[in-house]
Amino acid sequence: MTEPKPPEDPTWLDIVVGQFFRRSLSVSAALGVLVLWGLAILAPVMASNKPFVWRVGDGPLQFPWFKSLFDQIFFENGVDLFFNTLLVALVVVGPAVFLLWRRSASLPRRPRTLRRGWIAGAAVGIWLVFLGGVMAFPYQAPKEVYPLLEKSVRATGQEVLAIYPPIPHSFRDGDIGRALQPSSSDHWLGTDSSGRDVLTRLLFGTRVSLTVGVFAVALYVTLGVIIGALAGYFGGWVDLVIQRVIEVVICVPSLFLVLSVASFLTERSIFHILFIIAAVSWTGPARLVRAEFLRLRELDFVAAARAAGFSQPVIIFQEILPNALGPVLVSATFGVASAILVESTMSFLGLGDATLPSWGQILNNGRSSGVWTMILAPGSAIFVTVSLLNLVGEGVRDALDPKLRK
Amino acid sequence: MIQYALKRLLLMPPTFFLISMVVFLLLNLAPGSPTETTGAHGEGGTSAGASESLRVFKEQFSLDKPILLNTRQWLTAVEVKRLLLATGAGSDAERLDAAEALDDGGNDLVPHFVVLLDDPEVQAVALLRLPQAAKLPYMPDHRGTADEVRLRNAVVEAHNAEVNAWRPANLGAAELVTRWKDWYPLHRAEYEYDGFGERVSDLVLDTRFARYWGNLLRLDFGRSVIDRQPITPKILSRVRYSLSLTLVSIVLAYLVAVPLGIFSAVKRESRADTVITVLLFMMYSLPTFFTGTVLLRWLSVGDPFAWFPTGGFETVDRVERTVLSQLLDVGWHLILPVFTYTSVTLAALSRYARAGVIEVIRSDYVRTARAKGLSEPVVILKHAARNGMIPILTLLGGLLPLLFGGSVVIEAVFGIPGLGQFLLESIGLRDYNAVMGVLLISSVLTLIGIFLSDLSYALVDPRISFD
Repeated sequence: MTEPKPPEDPTWLDIVVGQFFRRSLSVSAALGVLVLWGLAILAPVMASNKPFVWRVGDGPLQFPWFKSLFDQIFFENGVDLFFNTLLVALVVVGPAVFLLWRRSASLPRRPRTLRRGWIAGAAVGIWLVFLGGVMAFPYQAPKEVYPLLEKSVRATGQEVLAIYPPIPHSFRDGDIGRALQPSSSDHWLGTDSSGRDVLTRLLFGTRVSLTVGVFAVALYVTLGVIIGALAGYFGGWVDLVIQRVIEVVICVPSLFLVLSVASFLTERSIFHILFIIAAVSWTGPARLVRAEFLRLRELDFVAAARAAGFSQPVIIFQEILPNALGPVLVSATFGVASAILVESTMSFLGLGDATLPSWGQILNNGRSSGVWTMILAPGSAIFVTVSLLNLVGEGVRDALDPKLRK
Repeated sequence: MIQYALKRLLLMPPTFFLISMVVFLLLNLAPGSPTETTGAHGEGGTSAGASESLRVFKEQFSLDKPILLNTRQWLTAVEVKRLLLATGAGSDAERLDAAEALDDGGNDLVPHFVVLLDDPEVQAVALLRLPQAAKLPYMPDHRGTADEVRLRNAVVEAHNAEVNAWRPANLGAAELVTRWKDWYPLHRAEYEYDGFGERVSDLVLDTRFARYWGNLLRLDFGRSVIDRQPITPKILSRVRYSLSLTLVSIVLAYLVAVPLGIFSAVKRESRADTVITVLLFMMYSLPTFFTGTVLLRWLSVGDPFAWFPTGGFETVDRVERTVLSQLLDVGWHLILPVFTYTSVTLAALSRYARAGVIEVIRSDYVRTARAKGLSEPVVILKHAARNGMIPILTLLGGLLPLLFGGSVVIEAVFGIPGLGQFLLESIGLRDYNAVMGVLLISSVLTLIGIFLSDLSYALVDPRISFD
């Protein structure tokens, strides 16, 4: 016998999500961002010079593409390993997670939240173990240049079975003899000054931008929220000290500082760039959270939590913090866009990670060689990404604003 | 209000001190040093001439001093012995590090070297290093009256000449050891610390940071490590380029943004407003380096048009020009950079202006103004717009550092030799003093800008009080 379920009261999050979904422009922008993530994760599926399947004559079937995914010599900069393991993890555990997630929908709210927490935690855990394993055991795939190998094998009269991704080029290794070629059916956007396929680099550049955007923001928002929460909750001399530190960081001209520090590092990696961006940006969320805490800590529910004997960390992080996160959410969405801009500016000025196919770096290459495709393509990519993120940011801001509820 | 302003003003110097410390630490702790880019390093660094010029270079720019705290006074003879032994063993990097630590140690090492003369293991190396380590620094001009400085420096000169002659190349080891041992007790005072005060002052003041501040207090940003010229005139000579670019752009941006914002707010949700909002939104998301590159390529380089100069601030030739034609020439060069700069600033400002006016239009007093029969233009321009502009007026304070620093990106794209370019060039050459100078001046301006915009909030809106 099944009783009709009473409708659940919407939580604050439900309302905000609902509000967001009523804004069609923001929803399409959010979809656009999802597509960008898809492009980033699937980049090697679309562009790689390693064939999915490779077989010479009656020899054994080989899978060079799959092997190359974990090659730390080829994918030298961490970012790609991150996305490649994410790709494999999504294919392996993704369907299971999706099914479990769907099945938990029938549960009442509290057990459902708990169950979904477990599912998400387990999925991320599996992926992180996988990533850690790949990082811990450096592996080098066969170094063959397959398109050339294919030609030479065919010349000997042997049958070759080779299935390539749609764009059979590498983002990293170019043919210097074919530098700065115009658009053709082989290279849709031409090649850069090192003979690398521009479209492939553009595609892998999505990974760089999204990584910088998301991780820099995650890093500085976490830092800023903790610092701001402590300042706002404790007040007094803690607040005074933190306020002075914030003031100092705000007054240092951030782009100047970012450029100076970046150029003084001899071997810049994308992680340095992440940390530098985070180090100058954490003050924003810290100030927002501090202001919210100053207001919230005087409210009755905090007094109630204290009377109930909750410990201070519980009061700060479980009771007050969720109520203070609204403004931070908005600034974080816009922050992703500006972090992406800062990274591309750095790469454009030649102060980024030189091994990365970053959009700014491609644009710089286009500027110095004067090739239109290499200016317009990365520029539009940055423009579209930043626009989409800003649109999502506006949607989040409006959805959080009670005055604008529809 | 005045109390608040005073409090903020008093907090400025300590904040500036902290900023200078943070920036200084970041730049000095980052790997890479000016000795690598200037060639002062000397190839291999082994020949006597090369190592001497490196030493002079480091001394001149205080690079032989510790960065923030000088703890060399607490070195023990055992540690010094370990360093001496390390110069002869281990990997190249370890040997060079140990040698550098000993070279930089200076006077603080002398007592330990003298003690170690009894140790046969390191006696020879210690003898080799003693003449250099025992040299006393000259007294800088600003430390006393001219006579005091002259007297002291004469003493130092004689002292240094004496110890300089005592090299193992000139005299036998046994002879040298007895000479140093007889000599040291007489000159103990120059090398050892008497009392707590001297130790503390050495700990804090005998450092790179303290020396930098010593100069800074006399408004001296030091000299460039590249050509040894003072930094301050270099910075001043670049300011006019940045200033003309930014000043024109910001004035233009305000002139366009304010009417555009008001118009957009009054006609909100009309077709015109939608078009303006979308356009501004797109301008807001366009990166300046992209706009700049496209404009330059499209309109200057001749691909397909060559209407504007390809870069620079003015035509560089020997032709005499009248003031007017020179102005026209500069204007000609600045059209594209100013357009690029204005488009970004304009987008942000206009959005603020629109939001500000919309906020005000909804308020009761605007309804009252309409109700009492005022005409629409009067309501909007006299009542609504004035208050709606408060947020973007207060933004002006934040633009102060931009006025001075210009835009690194736009200056780089259009080849304008302003301060942004100067900063880029200097960081490429690892010219610490130049980078520090630019960073510090912009931080002072940021401090003042934030102060002014906070004050202007209270000035334009009497309801805000900071007390």
